Amino acid sequence: MSTFIMSARESTQLDYAERMREVLLHIQRELDHPMAPADLAEVACFAPHHFHRIFKGMVGETIMEHVRRLRLERAAWRLKFTDQSVTDIAFDAQYENLESLTRAFGKMFGVSPSAYRRAQRSISYPTVASSIHYAPDDNHGDFAFGCDADSGPNPPRIERQPDRPVVYVRHVGPYQECKGAWDTLMEYAAREGLIGPGAEMLGLCHDDPDVTPPEKIRYDACITTTAKVQPVGEIGTQIIPGGEYAIQRHRGPYESLEGAYRQLFGSVLPALGREPAPGACVEKYWNDPESTDPEDLETDVSVLIN
Amino acid sequence: MSTPAASKVDLFKEHKSEYAQKKTPTFVEVGKAQYLAIDGEGAPGGEAFQAAIGAMYAMAYTIKMTSKKNGRDYVVCKLEGIWGADGDFDSSAPESCRWTLMIRTPEFIRSEELKGAAEKIAAKNDCPEAAHVELRSLREGKCVQILHVGPYEEEGPSINAMRAFCEREGVAFAGAHHEIYLSDPRRVEPAKLKTILRYPVY
Repeated sequence: MSTFIMSARESTQLDYAERMREVLLHIQRELDHPMAPADLAEVACFAPHHFHRIFKGMVGETIMEHVRRLRLERAAWRLKFTDQSVTDIAFDAQYENLESLTRAFGKMFGVSPSAYRRAQRSISYPTVASSIHYAPDDNHGDFAFGCDADSGPNPPRIERQPDRPVVYVRHVGPYQECKGAWDTLMEYAAREGLIGPGAEMLGLCHDDPDVTPPEKIRYDACITTTAKVQPVGEIGTQIIPGGEYAIQRHRGPYESLEGAYRQLFGSVLPALGREPAPGACVEKYWNDPESTDPEDLETDVSVLIN
Repeated sequence: MSTPAASKVDLFKEHKSEYAQKKTPTFVEVGKAQYLAIDGEGAPGGEAFQAAIGAMYAMAYTIKMTSKKNGRDYVVCKLEGIWGADGDFDSSAPESCRWTLMIRTPEFIRSEELKGAAEKIAAKNDCPEAAHVELRSLREGKCVQILHVGPYEEEGPSINAMRAFCEREGVAFAGAHHEIYLSDPRRVEPAKLKTILRYPVY
């Protein structure tokens, strides 16, 4: 464990792109084996927390989507250029049987594996933003990482935040259903006089929706306060840790917040060369969603950085 | 955090015609309306003004959430401001101006609810201004109105356009300069700020 921490620290200044390249090469070499995301993170000294978000942000797909696509691309390549049986190709691609390979293959290439093998066409892979594809000789050319560096009217920023004491109500389930937690929190806050002039509405997102199933996602609806509050029933208190936060402003409906996360983890952190600290991502809501058009909603998505 | 229930009162939408947003002057008829209101004096953006805004939002949301808990939910309306008292508001020099900040509020909200909210807020926050927020009714009647897009300091041409329109129509300004803030000046760049400007006329 201590060696891991040491190496993570030494590599902090190492280029994110270099390290992600290591991860991607590792994936290509290990397509025959099951892959655990935590092991992948370790390949290039990424801390395991937030690694999914960094991968998705830089590569444009989740780890599992990426691995799955590369296995299917390799299957396509082998169908075209080898005599290997379709069943063997299916097993190598980590499919339990020919039927499941055929289904997955059909979805990606529009034809069955055997039809693909018969057709006298050159090989063509699906178009992806990263332009990373299976290459039998490990020669991948240039990768295109991350979103556009130009983040338009909302440049990212780093802000030092103090410890922020909050009163909160936890919601477990899909983000779209967190309204109940907010109602409970705000009714309590009104009764207790906590909606003061400086109160901020924050959301603590403990889970990555690309990894955690919707029904298990933990989200804390929070209001900042300096008053002393006794936790009771659903109402809890906690302190959001202070420190330097990397912040990306999002303008638009809450449903499209994922774009700001991709920007933050896939472009902002790599550009800064800073590592995210363990812990929840913090969302700050600037408007009242009841009286604001969804496209005018403004939200800061942020993460504590080391 | 999601779509409002169908039964929720939304005065801004219910009285859409009173909040007409045209870039050329137009007449609107504004009926009697109840507002949370707080009076003050000094530069917009100054200390007194900021404290008053903080108190208004604290009161507006404390009262709304209390009412919602009691089964009567509504949407908190946009912030409004009335500047000067006699129609001679000078948009380029508002520092010495007296103002009233307002948020339109349903008729079923009573002053007892304001008193309760102000006490709770004062007990947990440094916010003496909450006690100065009061209920006020206003019937502006016939008004001239325009949507001003840009910095507050550059309202002059929009006001002149309304004045010229009134002269052509044979009426004149008959009340204080009224602004309805559609944008949040803390986050929207000045050139894009949207503000409804309104004057009662006769």
